[in-house]
Amino acid sequence: MSERTNLMEGGKDEILLNVLHRAQEKHGYLSESVLKKISSKYSIPIAKLYGVVKFYTMFHTEPQGKNIIEICGSPSCVLNNGISLEQFLKSELKIKIGETTQDKLFSLYKTSCIGCCDEAPAMLLNRKPCTRLTIDSLKATIENLRKEAGEKKE
Amino acid sequence: MQILRKTNLKALAKAHALGQEGVIALIERKGLEGRGGAAFPTGKKWRTCHDTQADERFVVCNADEGEPGTFKDKFIILNNPKTMIEGILIAAYAIGAKRCFIYLRGEYEFLRPKLQRQVKSMLKRAKTDVTIEIVRGAGAYICGESTALLQSLQGNRGTAMSKPPNPTRNGLWGKPTMINNVETLTCAAQAVLFDNWKPEVRLFSLSGNIQNPGVYEFPIGVKMSKVIKAANPKRKLKAVSFGCFGGIMPVDENMAITPETLMMEKCHHGAYSIIFADETNNVVDLSLSIAKFYTYESCGKCTPCREGTVRMLNLLRKIHSGEGSREDLPILCELANHIQETALCGLGQTCGNHVLTSILHFPQDYEAYFSKK
Ligand code: SF4
Ligand code: FES
Repeated sequence: MSERTNLMEGGKDEILLNVLHRAQEKHGYLSESVLKKISSKYSIPIAKLYGVVKFYTMFHTEPQGKNIIEICGSPSCVLNNGISLEQFLKSELKIKIGETTQDKLFSLYKTSCIGCCDEAPAMLLNRKPCTRLTIDSLKATIENLRKEAGEKKE
Repeated sequence: MQILRKTNLKALAKAHALGQEGVIALIERKGLEGRGGAAFPTGKKWRTCHDTQADERFVVCNADEGEPGTFKDKFIILNNPKTMIEGILIAAYAIGAKRCFIYLRGEYEFLRPKLQRQVKSMLKRAKTDVTIEIVRGAGAYICGESTALLQSLQGNRGTAMSKPPNPTRNGLWGKPTMINNVETLTCAAQAVLFDNWKPEVRLFSLSGNIQNPGVYEFPIGVKMSKVIKAANPKRKLKAVSFGCFGGIMPVDENMAITPETLMMEKCHHGAYSIIFADETNNVVDLSLSIAKFYTYESCGKCTPCREGTVRMLNLLRKIHSGEGSREDLPILCELANHIQETALCGLGQTCGNHVLTSILHFPQDYEAYFSKK
């Protein structure tokens, strides 16, 4: 079992997962320089830290799109038309699973069940659930996000 | 619903009055079992943790609900979080823990801000020096498994570890650690306070091709017909899958749902998550989506599970594309059995159930793909 020394700060242990989540929220992703800072602050070898980060699908070591979509690929959603939604997203955004659009507006991931099977099919958009999805509702959501981004630019 | 009954800190007060031994004995008497899927007697677990010599102990509320088709813990966190928090405080008192954690899956991040406020207000109202920290998971199904969860909490990769040591004796930072699921802890508070609390009442998560998906309460032994009536399918049902790991079987309206009757069909109740598939589906497709899940979620620590899940998926893909043949079925079964016998943790030990049961109960669905050739 691991010793308890590495995350002591001001007498209070910190949980590494929470530290990483906060850093990712602040910087958008866990870049090498962010990880180096965490590594030295908490005396965790960088190789170990990298190993931990890579284990969890929600941590990213590359820049992400402004909006992160995670579409559920588990049975209850698949039984409720989930696969056609995934295909729609791929063709509408012109990217594969795991990629980011050229305009950096969207990153697309597939996720295991997000516990919204009672409102399937479902996805997470920036960690918030969007449920009872249809191709039309997806289309509208994406259009809105594009419009929002366009307005901000102007 | 029994699970929605509020305890309003009266259960904690009663626990204090009973003393540590008294509250553990009460939980034992009430027959509470773990509701995460393994059904281990909760009182026994509490006693072991309490009796293990240590200068420090921990309680972890496992809110890493990730079994596909399961959303009952989310339902509790949304609808009766204070009773759950009270359950954590009772467990902490019973075993003598000062520091507690809620391991909340990353996919439930949207529940966290409110839960955080509720934890704060409950701790204040209970006037306790016990602390409860929310730990944010980051998208790994395996972390619902107790040894992997502890690894994750300690800042490591969330891979499963071999037991013993059992976390109850030797867990977080080598100290006795009680890991109980959200529903278990909520029930613990209710079992302590209410004389008429019923252990056989379970939460069922119903989803799939039905018109009334959601969380329901039924007693163990409920007739399948009654569950189906509540679920309200649009078309004729064909198969039920018990989450991903519990196996797939034909719909039998007359069956009473108990661990034993399911065992006879080579299925497992797990957390009573029932995914319904109607007659428009081929069960091979369902099995394929489950195989994808396991390939994706295997933590990669042991070879049979890491490699075997991929091979099962590839074979199912081959069959699904119409390229398979009858000869693939014994290979699939052998693979499934082999992984189950040699895998280290519960994920690997159950990841072939859907293959074994779908071949057992729905050979005609496989045939349909073979004849497409
Ligand atoms: S059985 Fe699978 S999930 Fe479990 S430890 Fe082995 S590789 Fe990891
Ligand atoms: S299967 Fe998609 S949310 Fe559960």
